Order: sequence, then structure tokens, then C-alpha cells
Amino acid sequence: MDIDILARGLVAGSLYALVAVSFNILYRPTNVFNFAQGELVMLGAMVFASLATVLGWPWYAALIVTLLGVGLLTLLIDVVAVAPVLARSQHGTGWVITTLAASLIIANGVNRIWGPDPIVVRPPAPLTTDTFSLAGMTVSAYQIFLVLLTVILVLAIEQVYRTRQGKAVLAVAEDREAALLRGVNPLRLSRWSFFLGGAFAGLTGVLAAPVLYASTGLGPALLLKGFAAAAVGSIGNNRGALIAGYLIGVTEALGAALLSPGYQEAVVFLLVLCVLLVWPHGLFGRPFARTV
Amino acid sequence: MAASVAKSRGLAGLLVQAALVVIVLALPLALDPYGYPLFVATQLGVYVIAAIGLNLLAGYAGQVSLGHGAFIAIGAYATALLTVDQGWSFWLAALAGVALSALMGVLMALPSFRLSTWYFAFITLAFAQVFEKMIVEWRGLTKGFAGVVGVQPPSVFGHVLEPAGVYWLVAIIAIIGFWLVNNLVRSRFGRGFVAVRDAPAAAQAAGASPARLKLLAFVIAACFAGVAGAFFAVQKTVVTPDDFTAEFSIFFLLTVVLGGLGTRWGPVVGALVFFLVPELLTGLESWRMMVYGAALLALMLFAPHGLVGAARSLFDRLRPKQAGQTTQPAETVQPQGAHVERPAISGLSLEVKDLRKSFGGVVALGGVDLSVAPGTCAAIVGPNGSGKTTLLNVVGAYYRRDAGAVLLGGRETKGLSPQQIAGEGLGRTFQTPRLLGELTVLDNVLLGAFRRERASLPGTMLRLPGAMAEAERLRAEAMELLAFVGVADRADDLASETPHGHQRLVEIARALMGGARLIMLDEPAAGLSMTELDRLEQLIRRILALGATVVIVEHHLDLVASIASHVTVLDRGVVLASGAPQAVFADAAVMAAYMGERALNEQASDQLSDEAAGEVARPRPVPAKGA
Repeated sequence: MDIDILARGLVAGSLYALVAVSFNILYRPTNVFNFAQGELVMLGAMVFASLATVLGWPWYAALIVTLLGVGLLTLLIDVVAVAPVLARSQHGTGWVITTLAASLIIANGVNRIWGPDPIVVRPPAPLTTDTFSLAGMTVSAYQIFLVLLTVILVLAIEQVYRTRQGKAVLAVAEDREAALLRGVNPLRLSRWSFFLGGAFAGLTGVLAAPVLYASTGLGPALLLKGFAAAAVGSIGNNRGALIAGYLIGVTEALGAALLSPGYQEAVVFLLVLCVLLVWPHGLFGRPFARTV
Repeated sequence: MAASVAKSRGLAGLLVQAALVVIVLALPLALDPYGYPLFVATQLGVYVIAAIGLNLLAGYAGQVSLGHGAFIAIGAYATALLTVDQGWSFWLAALAGVALSALMGVLMALPSFRLSTWYFAFITLAFAQVFEKMIVEWRGLTKGFAGVVGVQPPSVFGHVLEPAGVYWLVAIIAIIGFWLVNNLVRSRFGRGFVAVRDAPAAAQAAGASPARLKLLAFVIAACFAGVAGAFFAVQKTVVTPDDFTAEFSIFFLLTVVLGGLGTRWGPVVGALVFFLVPELLTGLESWRMMVYGAALLALMLFAPHGLVGAARSLFDRLRPKQAGQTTQPAETVQPQGAHVERPAISGLSLEVKDLRKSFGGVVALGGVDLSVAPGTCAAIVGPNGSGKTTLLNVVGAYYRRDAGAVLLGGRETKGLSPQQIAGEGLGRTFQTPRLLGELTVLDNVLLGAFRRERASLPGTMLRLPGAMAEAERLRAEAMELLAFVGVADRADDLASETPHGHQRLVEIARALMGGARLIMLDEPAAGLSMTELDRLEQLIRRILALGATVVIVEHHLDLVASIASHVTVLDRGVVLASGAPQAVFADAAVMAAYMGERALNEQASDQLSDEAAGEVARPRPVPAKGA
């Protein structure tokens, strides 16, 4: 069998893991799973591509503006679409629909501004997307960088949760009212989490752009595969998301190679269904759920 | 008099509905039999059928399907392929399509029903996306982009139906479907669905399994989608992948949200309005998803119950307040309910042995023993965080125990689900009342009887006499129980508009309605006024007098001392003291745990000098009052 499958799987899996982490960052203190996340990743890719490739900005400037822009938009989603619904009722029906609505609006809006043509994004020097052979695999320097950076980002974020602020996030996730009584402001934490989760989605888009090209059609597929990585890796667990991301990336590459590229989504979907059927809370532990 | 007003209003509603049915059925007589309006009217009927199912699922059971188009596609493709390629009759093919749609729904959604609502939304969204791809990919079966062409209309008694005939068929099915779902949402299943949506723990306490109810709602919704799909194929005569894009699913969701999630007329109104404004949307073709998104957002924010809900609240506001309507304030009417005779209850014993439960590293229960004799009242007291509510939750199987034994009426409950234990006769109330705010007080009490009601699903949906008689009987019993707890005058009020003190009483009535033989009350006195406290005490005494066993978790020690025959003091997950109230409350260790050592020492320090007290006092942080 072609060992390239492994390389492709790891690269795609890293991207899915990043989307899953962006879900998790937002989910942990809010218990909201943002359905607009896929389109936010897409938006990040498009904004960065326009600034860096089309306008010729230096990459770091384009990166900062992208992260801020997508983060602020996500904050706006919280203020407009999520917080008012949550204030009225805690059950999920409301925010599922409102974040989906936000997703539709972003997708349509971006499509109208940029049109359907993908934009090629080159990674900053010295990274390139030129491929070479490494241990029998065809890879590029950028792909290696992407895989490594993903691991570093996941580990770094886990470190953040060990700090005082990070623990406050976990406390709010466990029990909003109790955390409030200990002087943690859940509302402010929610806002921050939306901003950071959105910024991270923007970062994911920036990182994905050289591999996938920046295109307005990226959203739905990344949304669902990011969800798959988050669910298989247990919601809220970033290391789990990383491993699940690899699992999904490799499964997908295998499905595409063995069956046909058209079946790769079906293969991933079956994998997620089977995993959730046996381990409803994913492969990496079940969170403590407070019921009554 | 109120009853006659309600009856005449019901009669008026019936007349309006009958008139609507006549108009719907007479429509083809006024239209060109082969014209476009009739085509559109048929399509509207197809969409209404699918929307009715989706409303049951998303509106009542609270499970949002974002890929409902895929289930319509299954019905449509199955019907088209089986009739065109295999030469099956429409009826058989449609039946196969419905069965396939339901089966796919079950297979696909089975894992997500044990998880949060949004898993289901995601999985249906993913399913629709995958299915859309598969239709194109699996060319050998589905003929790819070309689609299935030449679907024939069904025949009835050997006659191939004309367009008007198809319309009538669709209209009749839509009307029957509307009626069936209407009957369902007014039954115990409907109350169960709303409970699953708004307060899953309350559903379990009433003996209803949330997973099964969600599955039921989804199977019904998938069947409706399958039927809609079959007629979709017939009405369009061509089925192609382009018919079933992601947009199609969003369209259905918007239809239901627009009409009003969880309202009976919502799907009908939503579909109708959507068809009345097609011109508006054709001009905005490329903006369509933006319009859908903005509409969904605006509706969820400003009109969560859609047009029907908005119209209803407008109507309520405009309607002049009638004299008979203004209910008297709760404080002036104080029915004590003491006069209500209830049959005796044979109380259950509870035996808890060495029960252990930890959350991560935190030991919530570190080997608790408790023994409650049938028909007695046992109290569990202790500071916040001592494990009282955890004990109730482990006994009720809301949490899985780590070790130990729980015997209910002498039987080990290990392995039973909360709803099964409820069925064994364990009732409970919650620290914060878990009532269904959008239902009436009476319906909330009726929810308690979920497990007792024997009428079958078909019997309920078809309003068979047996099911109706049973529902009537239970309704009367629920009224009686409301009178028993003393809130009969509130029966028709929405639970969300009922004062806090009454909500607690309604929860007790709900537990009694479930045939509880042992009732666990979790801080029933919290937030009650002095008079309400008095009524609560009287009520607990009357429940005990009937023979039921009562386990009460309470901070109000006067109440505990007055009604409990046995008190168990928990502190940090272990039993500190247990015995008769007088003896326990005299125990110094108990007082220390409850009030903190400093308080005790301050009491003692009345005799001591100030600096000496400062030496002895070892203040212990008092646990913050958690939720």
C-alpha cells in the first residue's frame, strides 16, 4: 500500500484536530458547540489570502488582522446570536439554530464578496509547498511544519488550562453558579472564549490555506470533520482531538485510496457513528456531567 | 361557567377546523385540473406533511434535525427507483420508502440519543451531506445527476390518479397526519417529549426514558419525511440530486421555525407563508441562504414560537381581561386540601449500605448507611457539600454508584435506570423545581403518570375509546391530587407563571401521580414563606398518614425536628450521627459540623475570657452555598 496515505492522513488530520481544538476552546466554559465554526475557518483562510496574496501584506501583519477580525466576529456571534438565546433557556434547540443561522449568513456573505475561485496562498519563506521525498513519502516542508506546529499548539493550550485563568475556565464548565460564587465571572469568560475560539478558527484557516487553497467552499467539510475529531476524541479533550484528528485523516485517505475519493466523507461518517455507538463520549474519557 | 366557556371555544375551534378541511378538499374544483396552481398546492401539501414530522421532532422533543431533506430524499428515491426500475406499485414502493427512511433514521441517530441535543443536530447535518454526495457517487443505483425520470402517479382501484386525485390524496394524508400528531402531543407522549426537551431529569423521575422518547419522535418524523418523499417523487415525476441539497434541509427547518416550533399549527402556517412569498425570494435568488440565515436568527431571537406564537401573544395582549378570568391572588385563597380523601399508600422501605461515590478525587459519599422503615419519615441533614443531594441522586440512579448496596422495598436496585426505579415506586422532587414551564400545572402533574398509563401508541394517536377513557380517568386523578396538595385553583395556569412555593407542591403532586410509595424531597422548604412552610409541613404529614415513606433533605431544622422520626447527619460524605431528632441535635459533633466550631466556641466562650476563646477557635472555611 502507498505510504503517502499516511502523510496525507496526518496533514489533513492535523487540520481537523485544529478545528476540533477551536470547538473545544469555545465549548469548555460555555457548553455551546458553535455551528458557524467551519465558516469561521473558511473566513480566516479568505481574509488571510486576500491580505497576504492579493494585497501583498507581510504574513505577520495579515495573520494578526485575520485573528483579530475572525475573533471579533465570533464575539459578535456570542453577543447577538448566542447569549440572548441562552439567557432565555438553557436547552440546546435555540443556539443550535442561531449559530447555524450565523453560519449561513457568513457563508453567503463571503461567497458574495470573494466569489467561488480559490486563492493560492504561499507559506512564508523559508517554508515552501514544494514536495520532496522523505522515507518513501512525498511531503513538503510546509506539511511537516503544519504537523509539528499542530502538536505544539495542542500541548501549549493544555498548558494554558493549567494556569489560574485556565482553571477558571474549567470551573465554569463544571458549575457556572459555583464558579460565580468564587469570583469567576462566567459572562466575561464566555465572551473571551468566543473571541479566542474564533481567533483559533481563523488561525486554522490561515494554516490550512497553503494546503487546501483559500476557497469559499471550505466551511461545511471542515465543520463536520472538526466535529468528528472533537466527538471521537471526547469533547473538550484537546489531546484526544489530536489523536482522533489523525485517525480521521488517515481513515479518510485510506477510504479515498481504496474506494473512491467520492466515498471519503461516507467513510468518515461511518467511523464516527461506530465510535459513538460503542463509546458515546468518545475514545478519551467521559466528562462529569452534572444532572440534578 | 368556565367549563361552558371552554366548551364553546372548543366547539368554535372545531367548526373552524371543519371549514378549513372543506376548503382544502374543495380547492381543486376551483382550479385548472392540469394547471400550475394545483401543482403548487400539491407541493405545499407534501411540504406540510414533512414539516409536521419535523415540528414534532424539533419543536416538541427539542431534537433539531438539520438534515431532514435526506429523509425525504430516501422516500423519494426509494419510490422512484422501485416504481420505475422494478415496476412495483406506488403503494408498495412508498411503504418501502417510509420503512427505509425510518430504518436509516434509527441506525444513524442511535448513538446520538444518549448524548446532548447538538450531537443529533450535527449527525443529521453530516448525514445529509454524505447522503447528497452518495446519490451522485452511487451512479449504478441512483443514475447520478441524470436522476430518475418518469415516476407515475399512483392508481386507486385500477384508476391512475389525475393531478386532482394526487392532490386529494396528499391533502387527506396531510390532514390525517396533522390529526394524529395533534393527538400525540396532547397525550402522555407529548408531555414526555416536552419533558425530554425542557427537563430530562423530570422525565426520568416520572419514569419516562428520554432516549426512547427521542427515538420515538425521530422515527415518527422520519416516517412523515418518507411519506412526503414518496409524494414528492410522484408530484415532480423526476427525482434528481439537485432536489436534495443542504439548502432543502435548511428550508424545512426554516418552515417549522417560521410557523412556530412546538405549536400545533406552526408547520401548516410556516409552509403556507413560505409558498405565499415565492416571488419575493426569486428576486433574491443569490441572497437566499443569507435571507434564510437572517430569518432563522431573527425568529429565534424575537419570536421563538414563530408566527403562531407571535399571533397568540398578540391575541392575549389585545383580549380585554374578562371578569371570570382574573384568578384571585394565591394569598387570599388558601385551599388546604385536608378534605381530599386519597387511597392508602403502602410505603417502601429503603436500605442503603456502605454507599460510595467519588467525582474524580472528590469523595462525595464515603460509605453511607441509611435505613428507612416503611411509612416513616427520615431526614438527611448536613452542611452544603456534605453529599446529601448526591445520596438522593445515587439512590435514584441519576449517578452510578461506585460501591455499596441500595435496597428499595428489600430489592437491590443495582443496574436499574432512573426511570425503572421510578417505576418501582420511588418519587422525588428537585432542589430547584423541574417543572415544564410551557405546560399547564395539570399537565405537569399528569407527566407523573407517564409510566402508569397503559394506552398504546396507536390507541393514543387514533383516540381509541380505551385510551380516551384512561386519559380522562388520570386527568380526574391529577385534579384530585392538585386539590390534595392545595393548588387546585392553579390547574390551568402555565407552570412558569406559578409562584415558587406552588411549584414545589406541584412537584410533590407529580411524584404522587406516579404512584410513588417512597418520596424523596430535596430541600422542599427552601425559599418558602412562613405560611407556605406551614402548609408544606401539613402536607408531608398527610402523605405520611396515607402510609408513604418520606425521605427529606432539609436545612430547616425546626421542620426536620417536627416531622422526622429519624435523622441522619452527613458531613463530607460520611454519617456523623444518626438517630432520633432530639438525640441527634443534642450531639456536640453535629452542632460543630453544622454551625462551624467557631460558633460553638463562641457560645461556650460566654463563660470564658475573650483571648482564651481566640486561642481555641480553629475556624474552618464554611463551604460556599453551591447550587
